[in-house]
Amino acid sequence: MYRKQVRRRRAVLVVLIVAALVLLSTQFSESQGGPLHSMQRAVASVFAPLEEGATRALKPARDLINWVDETFQARGQNSDLHSQVQQLRTQLATAQGAEGENQQLRKLLGLDRQGTLAGYKPVTARVIGRSPTVWYSTVTIDPGSGSGIQIDDPVVSGDGLVGRITDVTHGSAEVTLITDDRSSVSARVLPSGPEGIAEPEVGNPSDLLLDFIDKNQTVHQGQMVVTAGWSNGAISSAFPPGIPIGEVSDATVGEQQIYQRVHVQPFADIRGLDFVQVATGGPPRPGVPR
Amino acid sequence: MIITRRIAVRIALVIVATVLLEVSFFSYLSFFGTTPDIVPLVVVALGLLGGALVGAVCGFAIGLLLDSVLLQTLGVSALVLLSVGFLAGRYREGTEISNSLIPPLLAGALTFCAAAGFAAIQLMLGVHTPVSLLVLREIFVKGLLAVVLAVPIYPVIRIVLRSAIVDDSAGRRRARSPITPGARRAGRVRGRRMRRPAGVS
Repeated sequence: MYRKQVRRRRAVLVVLIVAALVLLSTQFSESQGGPLHSMQRAVASVFAPLEEGATRALKPARDLINWVDETFQARGQNSDLHSQVQQLRTQLATAQGAEGENQQLRKLLGLDRQGTLAGYKPVTARVIGRSPTVWYSTVTIDPGSGSGIQIDDPVVSGDGLVGRITDVTHGSAEVTLITDDRSSVSARVLPSGPEGIAEPEVGNPSDLLLDFIDKNQTVHQGQMVVTAGWSNGAISSAFPPGIPIGEVSDATVGEQQIYQRVHVQPFADIRGLDFVQVATGGPPRPGVPR
Repeated sequence: MIITRRIAVRIALVIVATVLLEVSFFSYLSFFGTTPDIVPLVVVALGLLGGALVGAVCGFAIGLLLDSVLLQTLGVSALVLLSVGFLAGRYREGTEISNSLIPPLLAGALTFCAAAGFAAIQLMLGVHTPVSLLVLREIFVKGLLAVVLAVPIYPVIRIVLRSAIVDDSAGRRRARSPITPGARRAGRVRGRRMRRPAGVS
């Protein structure tokens, strides 16, 4: 009897391990429209309303727990912010002068737009779920293809770039954040303009690495980094130009290296996202499926 | 554990509630820069209460559901969590849980193993960007948080599945029932006699 039980247990274990490995390899090899992906989307669609309800209901409890953690962090940030305010006042005075000049130039060039997402139709979305591991830096949002959201649409928060849509069902969509290892964003350092690729460092959501910046180009701490939004006619970046990504936190040059190692601190609070905006529609970008 | 249809429904509800709580509540929290993960510790609890087979099946199911809801690569969580559930179940089958500290410590150790296993699979599948050493801190802190979270979560799951646990129901039977047949009735009669007021025959 005992032997039979042991044999049964081993058989079930082997079946489950084989099933997991088959699922893993099949999903890697099949296309986005394959049966496993479709099944996954169906489950996600069923769970989306439940997730939304749970997220709303549990928000007060989450806020209470996070409030304790944030209070400790806020004490340390307070003194840093005081010194930053003084710096920013000086920069504001300069920037206000430059803004007036900029508007006149834009009018002259016929480029008078309302912002970096001009031409797009923004859809506000609530974050209803997120992955608990650092290996999948993704969030689930509540509107899906029913609201006009498509794969590769850029996603922003009030602070800056958040990520892009990588999967979509009728009622929900998956956003791959800029801190996910599958993400890379072509970026430009302001105001001097060296361009590189902003990639994450897995495990550290408060740091991006700006790669392929020539070591002879000067990059300073505190410079703003925005999306480059390049296009060569045949292919183009998934992101429109000028969306703020973050600011340079450190720039080091190794003697044996061709490129600088520029660290960027993202503006968007990647771990504290509640609402985001998806830029749907927009002008056609070559190489980006619409 | 005696698996009846009712108990199977309860386990399914525990699995769904765990996934919902994880993606909608716990993954928004941050302690020491790390998100707490209750999924491995729930699998450990199910394995400890139900044995290796129940642990493995529940780990597989909860992993599959988590990967589906979060649109992650199917099979990764299932593979890691079925191993966690199986190991917890094997521990219970081989060793008696004599100390109340054992479930939280085991949950912490197996959550640590789950996070390390998850990282190993991800690295084997290919990561296109540099990996920070902070990943090690994440794995370690996840294990510590699991120890703390297991203190309230393990008893809750035990209560939910109490009627199916063989030890518990046997223990209750021993506490209530007499040794010889007919003694329960005799005890009740004896009790009535004792409660009768003095002077009343």
